[in-house]
Amino acid sequence: MKNQKSKILTIFLFLLFITIYELRFTNYESFAQDSNKLVALTKQIMEAKTKEELNLAFQDLTGLYFNENKYSEFVEFLNSLVKQKKELEPQVNYYIALSRYQQLKYLEEKQNWDEYFSNGNTYRQEITEQAQKAIGSNPFTDKLHIYARLILWQFHRDQQDVFENQALSDLMNSISEYVKTAQDYQPVKEVAEKLLVYGEKVKSKELYKIYVNKIITSGITDDKLKESALGFYKEGNLELAEALYDVYVDRTVKSIAKEKLIPILMDIAKQFSYKDQGPKDTFYAEKIFKKIEEVGTKDIFDERLLYLRAFNLEKTKDYPAAKDLYSYFVGRYLNSAYIDEANYKIGIISTYILRNINTGKSYFEKLAQKENLSAQVISSLYQLGLLSQWGEDNVKAGEYYNKLLEKAGDGFPETVTLAKERIKEIEQVKPIEYNLKTFLDASLKEEYANFDMTKIDLKSSIYRAKKDQAIDINSLPYIEQSGCLQVELQYLWSGHIGTAKPSLDESAFNTTYIHPGTKEINLIVISASGVVDRNIDLVDVY
Amino acid sequence: MNKIKRYRLQATGYRLQAKKVKSLLLVACGLWLVAFLLGMAQRPKPAVYIQKLKNGHYRLIVDRKPYIVKGVCYNPIPIGQNHEYDWWSDPNKPWIVDGKLMQAMGINTVRFYQPGQNPESVKKVIRDLYELYGIRTIIGHWLGFWEYPCPFYGDKDFQDRIKKEVSDMINTYKDEPGILFWVLGNENNYSCLGMVNPWSNEEIDKEPDPIKRKNMRYNIYYSFINELAKQIHSIDSNHPVALGNGELIGLEIAAKSCPEVDLVACIIYRGKTFGNLFRSLKATFDKPIVLTEFGADSYDAYKDTEDQNMQAFFLESQWRQIYENLANNKEGIGNCLGATIFEWTDEWWKHNENDPESWKVHDTDSNWSNGSYYFDIKAKGNKNMNEEWFGIVAISKEQEFGIDKRIPRKAYYVLREFWKNPTKNLKPKTKKAK
Repeated sequence: MKNQKSKILTIFLFLLFITIYELRFTNYESFAQDSNKLVALTKQIMEAKTKEELNLAFQDLTGLYFNENKYSEFVEFLNSLVKQKKELEPQVNYYIALSRYQQLKYLEEKQNWDEYFSNGNTYRQEITEQAQKAIGSNPFTDKLHIYARLILWQFHRDQQDVFENQALSDLMNSISEYVKTAQDYQPVKEVAEKLLVYGEKVKSKELYKIYVNKIITSGITDDKLKESALGFYKEGNLELAEALYDVYVDRTVKSIAKEKLIPILMDIAKQFSYKDQGPKDTFYAEKIFKKIEEVGTKDIFDERLLYLRAFNLEKTKDYPAAKDLYSYFVGRYLNSAYIDEANYKIGIISTYILRNINTGKSYFEKLAQKENLSAQVISSLYQLGLLSQWGEDNVKAGEYYNKLLEKAGDGFPETVTLAKERIKEIEQVKPIEYNLKTFLDASLKEEYANFDMTKIDLKSSIYRAKKDQAIDINSLPYIEQSGCLQVELQYLWSGHIGTAKPSLDESAFNTTYIHPGTKEINLIVISASGVVDRNIDLVDVY
Repeated sequence: MNKIKRYRLQATGYRLQAKKVKSLLLVACGLWLVAFLLGMAQRPKPAVYIQKLKNGHYRLIVDRKPYIVKGVCYNPIPIGQNHEYDWWSDPNKPWIVDGKLMQAMGINTVRFYQPGQNPESVKKVIRDLYELYGIRTIIGHWLGFWEYPCPFYGDKDFQDRIKKEVSDMINTYKDEPGILFWVLGNENNYSCLGMVNPWSNEEIDKEPDPIKRKNMRYNIYYSFINELAKQIHSIDSNHPVALGNGELIGLEIAAKSCPEVDLVACIIYRGKTFGNLFRSLKATFDKPIVLTEFGADSYDAYKDTEDQNMQAFFLESQWRQIYENLANNKEGIGNCLGATIFEWTDEWWKHNENDPESWKVHDTDSNWSNGSYYFDIKAKGNKNMNEEWFGIVAISKEQEFGIDKRIPRKAYYVLREFWKNPTKNLKPKTKKAK
């Protein structure tokens, strides 16, 4: 009996101990009382034997609270943790700063103004105080030291206050110290990413370089290097992808046979070339295209790749180079499916961008004489008519327009409509429609050579569109500042602008095309003091 | 008495005499010093002046005390009227109601872009605001910026006419005790860029290089301002002269051709903060600055609804930076003297100044675009700045004290609290990193 009693007492005491032990961890909860994960993480933090274990637990804990935007609760919880275990102070300091930083952002984003105005100053104060404590309590060798510096810089950067520069310089110095001994370079990459987001390109590149150096000195194989580069490309981190590809290309140029290397380089170039969707860097693509040329010869490019390179240059707006490459293309691949498009683009680029009207005309003539009809053949006849009409040779212009109507028959409705409008002008002895005439004057008359397309950005949301696909055409004139005195601008749109009829005050419009072809979109922007500039863009509809 | 004794007595006599002379000299010096100091004291300090401190910071001194400009742009056009309305002569005296509200908020300064036509009415407003509420006045002059077809700053006759207008204005108001300082122009410098109110002259027209043309215009304009400032200083030594300027545009040229101005009065719309404004000014044109037009509107053009919090958010943040850059805040640049918010009350006529019907309506169509005010930048055509909604006090068609009823917005209360204890709001500081 006595034994039984003592057994019961032992079990009771055991259960009591377990309950009290568990209570140690459940006391802190303020919002997720029943969350097993929270209890488990708290336990991990309290019992962590290594810094790594501690950091991982804190990261998970942060996620738990941040996912529900429970910032104040998190701070409260962190404070209760440090009361239990003072050694956690370095971590807690950092996470309080981080939490308050995120909280202010969240309040602003959600426009929770009552809390913002009543507690904003307190939170701001906590950010700087706790971040400084974290910097002081975590040594240079600890990544939390770097992260605390990052928070402090971001905070001052957001405030655009006088501490911004010092905070950035401190951050960079801390990283220099950190990398002397660190094995984990993830913080370096994260800071580089953040700097890039904030537009600190130079500093960001500096850190990416450190990160890349770490990767390449770690004995990584060429294949792994390429794989890493591709991984970063897929993440959308083009800076890092390019840096790693650069190292990869430098290495492999020396170690791989030309025949093997060129296809690899071609793949990289294709990755970065212009496409309507997905990560792209047309300048980097051209850099790799040049490398291919260096390793092999110009002849190494097949039809598709050569076209892709020319198209990529066109979208980079390097028009002289694009024109040269399209010219090389049309000389080499006479039967290409892209031949009419390439010829037409050379004509447009030569005439309206490079102001070489005779060269342009020769390409339009070449197309106009073709028996096989295409949208570009019809458009070339229109261009020849238009240039004659602008040159006041209405007879010749009429001939081209009539030939166009004859060849087009019931097809090519968009260009046919434009040709009919021009014919009507000739018949009624009227000048060319004002928007178009102004564009032609600004693009072709020598005295307007200063309208060099640098003062207006003109962009299409899609450059390889399908019929009836919605396309956004946007323009952005770069004009001098005028404060709250708004400069009145007029936008003169002309050319193949599809189904839209943008008015004079529209800097952008949405359109669709009902027929395939290469569509030229012309723009002139006018202010009170005259023409600001002109621009032209080309959209291919298939 | 032996010889030695005699010599001693003689020597003592000389010593006594020397002592007397010394004393006389000391008395004379003392008297001279007193007279000098009295003389100094008799030469009065200007009522308002700018003091450059040893650390290179600037302070505005008013009646011998440092003065922080906590102001508003004041143009109380009632509902149904436009900018031509002579509110200065309004028998219901809107400034009496407004002054009381301003005083309660902590405002100590108003800015007028240009005085009204009737000097007696203007003086009455200045006096009432000063005597009843201690509110001082900044008076500006448009310098013909809105003249049709354009302000001919390169034309001698035009310049002479403006000079006359400005000197008349100074002579009329310089003895009003409430005057704080003068502002020449507003955003007139933008006309030198050729996009708004563009002007030229024969010499400029002959120059083919657009950059040179622009610089020629700046030179003409800022040299003209310099002449005006010189003229004002010769008439009135009691009040500083400010150069009104849109952003810091052209100030690198003003630094050479416009040294006579005492301070820069900038018009800045940069959203949440002023960025590197204070540092840039220090580097290009080391003059103190008063932000004479800045702020935020209270209409969310994207959500198509009033948003007082958005306005309060921007204004509180802007004032934090203004205070950071006042004199003797060792972490700031120390060249800021304060600011006047744009503006006290909404102005319902602004959306369409040619349509009297629209002056009776609080229009919600936006007039211009500014990406720094990011909450509503996704509004149609990115037009997010609602010119009729900049007041920190709304006006209503309901009448109270004979004028449109005043309804302070959130920004009024937020700034009132901010000004009560600005240092508390500036607490977050970063210590030098170890």
